[in-house]
Amino acid sequence: MNCYYCALEGKKSEAVAICIVCGMGLCMEHTIRKDVDVWEGGYPFPSKRVKTALPRILCPECYAALYEK
Amino acid sequence: MTVSLGKRSLAEAVGTFILVFFGAGAAVVTLMLASGTATSTPFNIGIGALGGLGDWLAIGLAFGIAIAGAIYALGRISGCHINPAVTIALFATGRFPGRDVVPYIVAQLIGAAAASLLFAWVVGPDAVTIGGLGATAPFAGIGYLQAIVIEAIGTFLLMFVIMGAAVDERAPPGLAGFAVGLAVAGIITTIGNLTGASLNPARTFGPYLGDWLLAGQNLWDLFPIYIIGPIIGAVVAAFLYDYLSCDCE
Repeated sequence: MNCYYCALEGKKSEAVAICIVCGMGLCMEHTIRKDVDVWEGGYPFPSKRVKTALPRILCPECYAALYEK
Repeated sequence: MTVSLGKRSLAEAVGTFILVFFGAGAAVVTLMLASGTATSTPFNIGIGALGGLGDWLAIGLAFGIAIAGAIYALGRISGCHINPAVTIALFATGRFPGRDVVPYIVAQLIGAAAASLLFAWVVGPDAVTIGGLGATAPFAGIGYLQAIVIEAIGTFLLMFVIMGAAVDERAPPGLAGFAVGLAVAGIITTIGNLTGASLNPARTFGPYLGDWLLAGQNLWDLFPIYIIGPIIGAVVAAFLYDYLSCDCE
């Protein structure tokens, strides 16, 4: 699979990741990694944040839609 | 990593405030509505004068819905015990750290006291003189020891539901708030007219303190009923649930 964004620019580069939202192939340059905290537990105990966060791979468009205001 | 103990304690105070303001407040409003209505027996103090057992169901639902709301709002922050008996039972079964027990209980008592005092202020003197701020006491014909046993049995069911619907990892997620709220409503409907159905030392502490400060009414000699009964009931329920649900012989 090749990077969609590079293809739009007329370039060809191999995809190293896939956007978890839209499934777009992404090269390293167009990959955005957003670490997401994971919480476990709950009533009747306080939730605990797990030490290791979950990596979340997004393309620039999905990142903008989800996180940029 | 959890949020700080200070924030969790504040969440417990807020949750207990909600419980006492809306739950005990419903009892006060019922008594104010029934004020002046003739009752046929000393067993009927006014709650029940208008709708029979339906009065208690309404009060029970006020408690239950407020508790469910508090659980969904605060359950992930502090655990939303909002009841010293629940905190002690979770500690006794090794599920809650000992260093957090006292701060949690102090916060619950502060939240309950704040709720009763604020309720008295916003409603006015009738909340104290007619409604007694929703203070619990054994009804006519119910002795001291009997009241302790009734409170223990009521809190047993409450803690049993918490264990089965929330503590047990096999419990379906997301339903605990409704389950606990409905259990409280059912318990109050049945034993409300026997002991007041406190099930919770903090819930009784708030109105007792308010009545004592604002009207000079001293009910503190009854307070052990609402400490001993709920704590015994909750601890027995937690241990019994562990025994019943363990697949070990």
